[in-house]
Amino acid sequence: MFNLIKRDVIIQKKQLLLFVPFIVFFILMDAHPVLIFLVVSLYVPFNALAFDEKTNVNVLLNSLPYTRKQIIASRYLGTIVYMAASIGVAIISLTLAHQSFTVTHVALSVGLFLLFSAMTFPLFYVLKPGYIFPIVMLSFFLFVGGGPALLRLMDDSLQGLIQFVMDLPMTTLLTGFLAVAIILYSISWAVSSVVYERKAF
Amino acid sequence: MEPVIEFTNVTKQFKGFAVENMDLQVNKGFVTGFIGANGAGKSTTIKLMMNLLRPDEGEVRVFGLDYATHEKAIKERIGFVYDGNVFYEGMNLKDIQRIVGPAYRHWDGALFRQYAEQFELPLNKAVKTFSKGMQMKASLALALSHQAELIIMDEPTAGLDPIFRRELLDLLQDIMLDGERTIFFSTHITSDLDRIADYIAFIKKGKLMFNQSIHEVAENYGLVRGSLELLDRDTEKLFVHVDRTASGFEALTSDVRKTEDVFGEAAVIERASLEDIMYFTNRSDVQHV
Amino acid sequence: MQIILSNQSKEPLYEQIKNQVVSAILSGEMEEGKALPSIRQLAKDLHISVITTKRAYEELEKAGFIYSIVGKGSFVAEQNLDVIREKKLKVIEEQLGNVIRNSQEIGLSYEELQDIMKILYEE
Repeated sequence: MFNLIKRDVIIQKKQLLLFVPFIVFFILMDAHPVLIFLVVSLYVPFNALAFDEKTNVNVLLNSLPYTRKQIIASRYLGTIVYMAASIGVAIISLTLAHQSFTVTHVALSVGLFLLFSAMTFPLFYVLKPGYIFPIVMLSFFLFVGGGPALLRLMDDSLQGLIQFVMDLPMTTLLTGFLAVAIILYSISWAVSSVVYERKAF
Repeated sequence: MEPVIEFTNVTKQFKGFAVENMDLQVNKGFVTGFIGANGAGKSTTIKLMMNLLRPDEGEVRVFGLDYATHEKAIKERIGFVYDGNVFYEGMNLKDIQRIVGPAYRHWDGALFRQYAEQFELPLNKAVKTFSKGMQMKASLALALSHQAELIIMDEPTAGLDPIFRRELLDLLQDIMLDGERTIFFSTHITSDLDRIADYIAFIKKGKLMFNQSIHEVAENYGLVRGSLELLDRDTEKLFVHVDRTASGFEALTSDVRKTEDVFGEAAVIERASLEDIMYFTNRSDVQHV
Repeated sequence: MQIILSNQSKEPLYEQIKNQVVSAILSGEMEEGKALPSIRQLAKDLHISVITTKRAYEELEKAGFIYSIVGKGSFVAEQNLDVIREKKLKVIEEQLGNVIRNSQEIGLSYEELQDIMKILYEE
C-alpha cells in the first residue's frame, strides 16, 4: 500500500521540481492564503491522476499483486498524505515570505480540497480516459469561480438558512464544514471502490 | 497432470463478441502456445486469466486458487508481458523498477539488473524512446525478476525481428530448465510454436477449438490432396474444410487415421502445419469436435 | 552423444531422437549406466519443445534402452546385446529376402546384386 502511495511521487519527480516555484508564484501574485493552500494541495494528487490517465496504468497496477480495493485506498489515503505535506510546505513558504494566514484559512482550504476531491475522484473511475482531465479542469474553475457567485444568487431564498449559519460561532461553523467534507470524502471513496471493483481493463 | 490455470465453463459477453463456455487447462512445467486469428479472443482470454476482466459465468482458477480471495497471492507468482507498453512512457527503467519492484515480495533487484544488462537495456533512458523489441525485453526483464512460476505473455513476438524472436525463444527455454515454471503465450506467428510449444490451444471466434499436445495435433490433423472425384457427401464429412480448384481439392482433416482408411493411396495425406490448421479451421463455418 | 534433427524429414522429431540414441547405445558409444542429458536440457539444446524430448525418452524407456530415476535423470540401461543382435539379424534377413525377390523379378544376377551391395556398403 505504501508503495502505491509512493508511486505518485516517483512518477512526477520532474514536476515536483516546479512545486516550490509554483508556491512562490502564488505568493508573489499576492493570492489569498486559502487559494494558495487549495492549489498546492491539488498539485500532487491531480498531477498523478493526469499521469495515470495517459497510460495503461490500470492494466499495470491490476496485474501487479494489488487488489482493486488497495488501489483505490491508496488514492484516497495518499491524497490526504500529500495534502498535509503540501500545506506544510506552503505554511513554511508563507512564513518565510512574511505573509499572514490563520488556522481558519488552513481549515477552510482543507475542507474545500476534500470536497473538490470527493466530487472529482469518482469521475476518474467512471469516465473514459481522455475526457476526464478537461472535465476536472472545468469543474475546478466552476468550483472556485462559480461557487461564491451561485451562493450570492441563492442569497434570497436561502436567506434564513444563511442567516442561521452566519450566526454560528466560527469554530462550530468550520468544524461542521470539515465534518461534512470528511463524510463526503468517505462516501466518494466507497463509490470509487464499488465502481473500480466492477471495471474491465 | 497439475493444471496451473484452469477455466471452467467461462463465459464473458461483449457487444458483438463473446468468449463462450471455455474450458481450458494449462499444464505445469510446459509451454502452451495460444493461437487464433486477430479478434478471436486471445487478449480477452489473457485478461480473464489476469483478472483484468471478470467472467460473467464460470470460474477461473490459477495455481488452484480463486481470484475472489487470493488475488494478491496469485499475482505474486505471475510474470506478465503485454502487447504494448503498460508502463509510464516518460519514465526510465530505474524508476519503473522502483514502482514495480516493491510490489513483489520476492523482487530480486540484482537479477533485474542482470537481465537489463543481458538485454542491453539502458536504465536511464525513457521507455518511450525504446524500440518495440526493447520495450518487450523491458517487460520481460520485469516479469522474470520476481521468481514468477507462471509467465503469461500476450503476443510477445509480434513486431519483433527474426533475430530477437529467436533469442527470446532461447531465453524462454532457459527459464524452463528447472521444470517448475509454466509459460502461456499468445501469438499468431506459428513458427514460434513449432520450436518451443508443448501444447497448442486454438481459439476461434471466442470458442476454444482444441488444447492438445503438439504430438496429438501432429497425429490428428492432416492435409489431404486429391482429385475432385474423391469427394462426396460422405467423404467430405472427414474434413474440417475443403478448398476446391480445377485441378483437385485440398482439405484439412482432424482424423488422419480414418481418412487414411477411407482414401488409402488415392489421396496424398501430409502433416498439417499449425498455419494450415488455423487457415482451414477459420474458413470452415461448420463446427467440428 | 550428437543428435542431429531434420525438420524436413517425415519422421517425427521424437522418433529421430529415439533412433539416434538407440544407435549410440548399440554402437557402444553410450555405455551402460551413462547419464543422458536431462529432458529439459536436451530440449533447449536442440531448440525443440520439452514434450518432444519427453516422449523420446519415454519410448526409449519402454523399449528398455534407458531407465529413469526421479530427481536424478535418465541412464543407459543394461543391454542384452546378443538378444538385440539376434533381432536385428532377423530384420536384416527379412529385408534381404525382399531385395532378392525384387532382383529376381527384373532378372538381376547374384553377381550384379553383389556389386550394388558392395558400392552401397562402401559409400
